[in-house]
Amino acid sequence: MAFDRRKTVLFSAAIALRLLLFIAFPSLPDLLTGRVEISTPVTSFKRLQEGLFLYTHNVSPYDGGVYHQAPLLLSLFSLLPEHSAHPLATAILYIVVDILSAHAVMQIAETGESGSSRLFTSPRKDLKWDSIDIGAAYLFNPFTIATCIARPTSVFTNCAILYATAKAARGNTLTSVFALALASYLSLYPVLLFPPLLLLCYDRLLRNNKSTEKLGSVWRFASTVTVKYVAAIGSLLFISYTITDASWEFLASTYGVQLLLPDLTPNVGLWWYFFIEMFDSFREFFLGVFWLHLASYVGGLTVRLRTQPLFVVTTLLGIFAIFKPYPSISDTSLYLALLPLYRHVFPLMRYTFFAVATLLYATLLGPAFYHLWIYAGSGNANFFYAITLVWSLGLSVIVGDSLFAVLRDEWEVERPEMKGKEVKRI
Amino acid sequence: MIFLYILTFFLGSVCAAADYHERLVLRPLPRGSLLASFDFRSNASASSIEKQNYQYFPRSLGQILQHAHTRELHLRFSLGRWDAETWGSRPWNGRKEGGTGVELWAWVEAENDEEAAARWTTLTNALSGLFCASLNFIDSTRTIRPAISFEPSGHHSEATLSKLHLLHGTLPREPVCTENLTPFLKLLPCKGKAGISSLLDGHKLFDASWQSMSIDVRPVCSSDSNCVLEMGQTVDMVLDIERSKRHRDNPIPRPVAPEELACDTSKPYASSDACYPLDSTSEQPWSLSEIFGRPMKHSCPLTDSEGEGAETVCIEVPHERQVYATAGSTEHKRPDGFSRCYKLSEISDFDISLPQQTLSTSHPLSKPPLYAERSFTGYGQERGGVQTLLTNPSQTDSIEFIYLESLPWFMKPYLHTLKASLINGLRGSSSSDNVDTSSTSIIQEIFYRPALDRRRGTQLEVRLIVPPASTAALTYDFDKAILRYTEYPPDANRGFDVAPAVVRVLSSSSSFTSDSIFEKDQSESELPVQDSIYLRTTSLLLPLPTPDFSMPYNVIILTSTVMALAFGSIFNLLVRRFVGADEVEGLNVSGIKGKVLARIRKVKERFDNVKKIRTNATSHTNGVEKEKGNEGKKNQ
Repeated sequence: MAFDRRKTVLFSAAIALRLLLFIAFPSLPDLLTGRVEISTPVTSFKRLQEGLFLYTHNVSPYDGGVYHQAPLLLSLFSLLPEHSAHPLATAILYIVVDILSAHAVMQIAETGESGSSRLFTSPRKDLKWDSIDIGAAYLFNPFTIATCIARPTSVFTNCAILYATAKAARGNTLTSVFALALASYLSLYPVLLFPPLLLLCYDRLLRNNKSTEKLGSVWRFASTVTVKYVAAIGSLLFISYTITDASWEFLASTYGVQLLLPDLTPNVGLWWYFFIEMFDSFREFFLGVFWLHLASYVGGLTVRLRTQPLFVVTTLLGIFAIFKPYPSISDTSLYLALLPLYRHVFPLMRYTFFAVATLLYATLLGPAFYHLWIYAGSGNANFFYAITLVWSLGLSVIVGDSLFAVLRDEWEVERPEMKGKEVKRI
Repeated sequence: MIFLYILTFFLGSVCAAADYHERLVLRPLPRGSLLASFDFRSNASASSIEKQNYQYFPRSLGQILQHAHTRELHLRFSLGRWDAETWGSRPWNGRKEGGTGVELWAWVEAENDEEAAARWTTLTNALSGLFCASLNFIDSTRTIRPAISFEPSGHHSEATLSKLHLLHGTLPREPVCTENLTPFLKLLPCKGKAGISSLLDGHKLFDASWQSMSIDVRPVCSSDSNCVLEMGQTVDMVLDIERSKRHRDNPIPRPVAPEELACDTSKPYASSDACYPLDSTSEQPWSLSEIFGRPMKHSCPLTDSEGEGAETVCIEVPHERQVYATAGSTEHKRPDGFSRCYKLSEISDFDISLPQQTLSTSHPLSKPPLYAERSFTGYGQERGGVQTLLTNPSQTDSIEFIYLESLPWFMKPYLHTLKASLINGLRGSSSSDNVDTSSTSIIQEIFYRPALDRRRGTQLEVRLIVPPASTAALTYDFDKAILRYTEYPPDANRGFDVAPAVVRVLSSSSSFTSDSIFEKDQSESELPVQDSIYLRTTSLLLPLPTPDFSMPYNVIILTSTVMALAFGSIFNLLVRRFVGADEVEGLNVSGIKGKVLARIRKVKERFDNVKKIRTNATSHTNGVEKEKGNEGKKNQ
């Protein structure tokens, strides 16, 4: 009972804070919606409203260069009362999604999957934060709050990813697969999370059943789950096809934009300036290289960290927050939601101070440099570009360092005598 | 296709007379300006064109139109801004006017949209060569297909009409200049050598406060189904009389001598050392040769020699104004009291001269039915807004019109922010407290075609009704896209030009049939759409965020470095094994670093041996131990 009361207090505090921000500062949501760090061309709330306006006025929003989001979002938001008349309805939806995401993170924390999976138990697993702390770390993260107030549609993707992970960590294959299908449908890149989530599911089911007979080999399991996943995505696409007047136009306008990057609006990622400055004849080649680079981590991490699929998911989310085509701080907040699950390896990390300082530095200077470039005219594009480089570098140091810590932790299981000693990699 | 074309026109008698008309109308405007409006019209019967006999119709243009299956063509070259508040309503009611730069619209006969687009490309490329303009840059991003703003002004049979596609393209950045005037004059039968066209000179035309050249080609059928292809060319310009009179060899304005200054000495603060200019009450003196830099040559022999058609120069001044014309020309005063026309001599040059004179009556200035002003709102290079103020000056009638915008693709408007609010009361007295936000009553209809990145521009057509004596403010927000660095023009920080908005006034009270001479020319051929009035706003300059053009290599290198760092560190961790730092001593020798360190260690040991010989040997072993300790630290 005490546990539930803490949870209630946490959730109500988070809701109250968000409502306060929405109501006390009515211009804040629109201000944050306009920030390039939060709203990208594929998630912006303003573009969603434009798409919705065109959709409700019988103009195909996909026959234009503004709206690049999934069709189901249109039907979802057309059910809500009109935003200009009732802004609070939208606000409440976003707050609910945030709370659901926090709930999913806490469910993951409660499974204890991060400390001990089927194949691996960390010697440090007792050093951990409980689920309330992890939920609070997510809900009161300034990045999460800013994302919630700015209302980009990436929060739906984040919520779906967290649910997919939470359900996989509890062995609920069907729900997990469906949630992941929804996330992939909304923003394409979560497709890459499929292999580690599949293993996470498989491990958890084995752990629950304690036998492989019922489940069969991992390959058989994988094939059935893949079929379910493809079926879920197919049905989502088919529903979209029917609600957009039987047209496949939306495929090019949503996924094509993610793949080909026609809209070069600045964001915190590395793609936009690279492809502004890229020579025309090499553009396609480097688009391929960038996507291949993004996908290359999946195989390596899944194989090397076979014993800890949840950590593969976490690290991949961190990598996506740096290297996906249109990243924003909402992707960073998703990574930072899962990272506290690995509290037990924090003592093994080497560059914590450096990485955190870099992130703070970029967070504070990013908006300032953007202002210098776009509004003041006293700086040029290189100012903001340099800050995105620093930001990406800071995040990749955290990702790399946490990976080092987990591997070190794993190594110490076979070499317990090496605890606390200097190591080398050969 | 050609067969259809023939069918359409091959209905009348074979020998329809081809004819040619030209007329220059001069109208003094307030504040020392002069509107000079040149009009040239030539007809060629459809049957003669079919026989490749173009007569007065320019062959070069005729063949292009035939090849591109263009049934009606309108081409405009314009510069400057028509100051409606001072100069009143526009010549030709704005029908012969274009937006700043080049504007082209045509009805192309085609079976489907793709064929129409292909023929449109053919047409723009051919016209580009003919007129030395960058018309070939009117690609799909600059082409729109207006639904309600334009209607064919010629006669088309029902069968043809169903296959006609209207395409409209603009080039707001095109600098209109002499190289466009020369081919324009070459299309005329007298080629600028005789008649009123001999006055046209690039130096004066492009020095005007506002100028517009137009070419219209349309089929015109008389009541007995006798069709001709009519080619209309006009040049309208507003000249500043003072400026035009400056000598061409000495164009720099000099200070006026103190005794020639007209000073207002009635002011209490007037003194001998300061001059407060006196508003001129009298009309300025001018003559044709002073203003255009040369006198007009004798009449073009192709014009009519008798009747109204022979009176090729008209001037709209009150009858009391003294006008001296050269001998050999005949003057004919119109009964309206405000205009007179001249028939030119067939052999000698022509000039008219008007002395300085104080007049008791002046030509009444007709008021335009609508004022339109468009501007950007907001600041910064990320997003902005567009605000158009549309003022209905009439006290009694509401006005209905269509507002057309053709925006480039990198300007991304948000249609859900489109609002029309009413500011009651005329401009200047717009008090914010009686702002009426009932936009639904103003906006009647919207046609919208959103832009596609790098493929298509935005097309927005709005039908509005503005009540009498009020101003409507049409606003919307837009985002500025950032482009690839190769897509910026050479002077990227200058900004991008946005084509002027076109306003077509649909209904207005009958009080706007003002331009007597202009109207008469049009009413001869009873054509379907003559009642609509057009006006255009100025073009806008849109600044876009720019990348640093000098560093593609640096960006590629720096971004790749960050990616390589992440990729390298992560895969380094994934593929290598951990070992304890103190276990790797032996392994170290295999690497280059290890080898180097081993060599250094050996050298150091030798030094230590030398030292050992020189000094007491007690600390020898400790020293080596120390070395080893340092070595270990370095390895980490």
